Amino acid sequence: MTSGATARPHNRMSRGISGRIKVTPRGFGGPFVRFGIPVAALFVALLLGALILLAAGDNPVDAYRTMFDASLSGPTAWARTLALATPLILTGLAAAVAFQMRVYNIGAEGQLYIGAIAASGVGLALPEATPMVLMLGAMLIVGAMAGALWAGLAAVPKALFDADEIITTLMLNFVALSLMNYLIFGSQTFWRDPQRVVPGGKRLPESAIMPAISGRMHIGILVAVASAVIIWWLLARTSWGFTVRTIGDSKPAARYAGMSVKKQILIVLALSGALAGIAGVSEVSGVTKGLEPRSLATDIGFTGIIVAVVARSNALGVVPVSVFLAAIATSGSRLQSIGIQVEVVLLLQGLIFLTVTAGEYFVTNKVSLAPRMHAAVPADDPVPTSREPSTASIEAQASEPDALVPEQVAT
Amino acid sequence: MNDTVLVLSIASAVVTATPVLFAALGEIIANRAGVMNLGVEGMMLIGAVVGFWGGRATGSLIFALIVGGLAGMALALVHALLAVTLGVDQTVSGLSLVIVGSGLSAFIGTAGDPPLLSAANGVDVHPLLPQALRDLPGVGPILLGHDIVVYLGVLAVALASYYLYRTPAGLSLRAVGEDPAAADAAGLNVTVIRYAATAVGGFGAGIGGAYLTLAISGTWQNGLTAGMGWIAVALVILAGWRPWLGLLGALAFGVLNGLSFTLQLAEVDVIPSDFLKMTPFVGAFVVVVLVSASPSRARRVAAPAALAKPYSREAR
Repeated sequence: MTSGATARPHNRMSRGISGRIKVTPRGFGGPFVRFGIPVAALFVALLLGALILLAAGDNPVDAYRTMFDASLSGPTAWARTLALATPLILTGLAAAVAFQMRVYNIGAEGQLYIGAIAASGVGLALPEATPMVLMLGAMLIVGAMAGALWAGLAAVPKALFDADEIITTLMLNFVALSLMNYLIFGSQTFWRDPQRVVPGGKRLPESAIMPAISGRMHIGILVAVASAVIIWWLLARTSWGFTVRTIGDSKPAARYAGMSVKKQILIVLALSGALAGIAGVSEVSGVTKGLEPRSLATDIGFTGIIVAVVARSNALGVVPVSVFLAAIATSGSRLQSIGIQVEVVLLLQGLIFLTVTAGEYFVTNKVSLAPRMHAAVPADDPVPTSREPSTASIEAQASEPDALVPEQVAT
Repeated sequence: MNDTVLVLSIASAVVTATPVLFAALGEIIANRAGVMNLGVEGMMLIGAVVGFWGGRATGSLIFALIVGGLAGMALALVHALLAVTLGVDQTVSGLSLVIVGSGLSAFIGTAGDPPLLSAANGVDVHPLLPQALRDLPGVGPILLGHDIVVYLGVLAVALASYYLYRTPAGLSLRAVGEDPAAADAAGLNVTVIRYAATAVGGFGAGIGGAYLTLAISGTWQNGLTAGMGWIAVALVILAGWRPWLGLLGALAFGVLNGLSFTLQLAEVDVIPSDFLKMTPFVGAFVVVVLVSASPSRARRVAAPAALAKPYSREAR
């Protein structure tokens, strides 16, 4: 999806609209197109949201001003926004890494829970006197590994049998949620605090809690931003990144070049799961400070998918997009004070996802008003030579089940 | 014998299967025309909240189901615009529908005064057949004791199967899903057929969602479907895009989903309820992996060849 390869030229449609609109494919737009269009789409989403608010009898100007004040004005507001942006950056990266290879990890939500379970387990099991650096390091490593293994449950069948990873990663979310609920609400496990009347997790020792920077913002943000830089570097500057992007563009081409698609599916999904697992570590260590299912299950994993789509799978783009979406999400509670439902936040997230997805068409196609004379000629549009690579990737997906057959015979 | 654990749990499984069945049937139709719509969960949610509103507004079950279905269809048409006309990635477009559906349904659920959230059900759902038939041993509760929608579900399966395999229109739809270029050359309008199939898919999901609120939960809650839409998507793969197998799969889901209810009735208390809640999802996971791993070529033949691939006459 990075190249937005599936969009096709549509001359027929242009003829349908009285021959005035001209659509020509542009292989890959410049930075202005690639980043400008998603930003424009964000504004369209906010506009649509305003219309819906108007229809519901609310004042959209008041709503947006309140949201801005609550999330982006003043250090306290910024700290709150950045605290929420922290896990979003990580789950956004988790989705983006997989998207780069056209693999869809919809399971960041569950991988986050598993990472949180594992990290809080480590934090509670190690002696309280363990130095903070060792403690947090152990939690990050174990949480990342746990997330990677959980993603591996879907990655192995994907690599071996081409089992649809969208379905399998998604199903594992519900399994992980039930598992987390069981540890706290359904039993008296190691994670649960026996002292508390209302079921809740044992509080982590001080050495296992990520220190606060300002207000709610904790050092997890540094982990998240560092992860974004590392992932960006891996994808854009290393041969491994080239392999991943090549497979994303065309699996047959990658196979022809001697790249192992199966191996990369395992690696990329494990990395994706590890990032989501780290998001779980950051939440449990920096925010909830114990395994608290209700506070952890707030759709951070799903929102990460929106982040990746809006950022067009660019690892560095994930950071500002996460801050933007976190700003919307944190301001929800303040809306209630002026009589507007919190649900506006969910609505806006959905609209943003939708408009940015639609915007992908305009990233790959140039839509302009054409003089009538030109549009009247049916063969006006040139043969889309510049789009050969992306066309190939569509064909690659098309022939995938068949392409798998010889390989299975070979192994 | 009608109040034995077995009879009661099968009867309840039939009811639970119904919303998933409608959603899966709709998805089969859309898929058969080559449109992959992963937004079932979102379309079910919007169908559920609008259907619940329709029920409160009119008290009519049928009206409520129809407006719920239309709401699902409206969302599906957004997907059709993105996936068929604009040709964007159908996976991403479908996922956006899930988020929009959950956001918009949550918004609608709290927008009114009084809000639909936690409001009382406006529809009285009652069994279709007379008491005497429903009291028949065994078959009474399992087959004859349900409301009209359950039977409409079975009828819809029969109609969908007949339509797909026995009518020229069904053949056209499948042709568009298998080889849109050939279908186009044969004079079929690929765009129109794909729009229509996507719309039918949304209608099915919307009805499924509406039935869920009106007849099963009786209230509207945010995120009410809790993964049922995704189960429906998995079910389509399991059923190999065939309506009657979809019915079987939906019943299997009903049984798995009702497992905690069944064990409660049977007074078996060895498996924690959280693990029982996992079973439909573990089941779907295992089934999708097994279907993929099966050595037969059957599954590869079953999937519509042009599934999830946009078609444009010029780009061939």
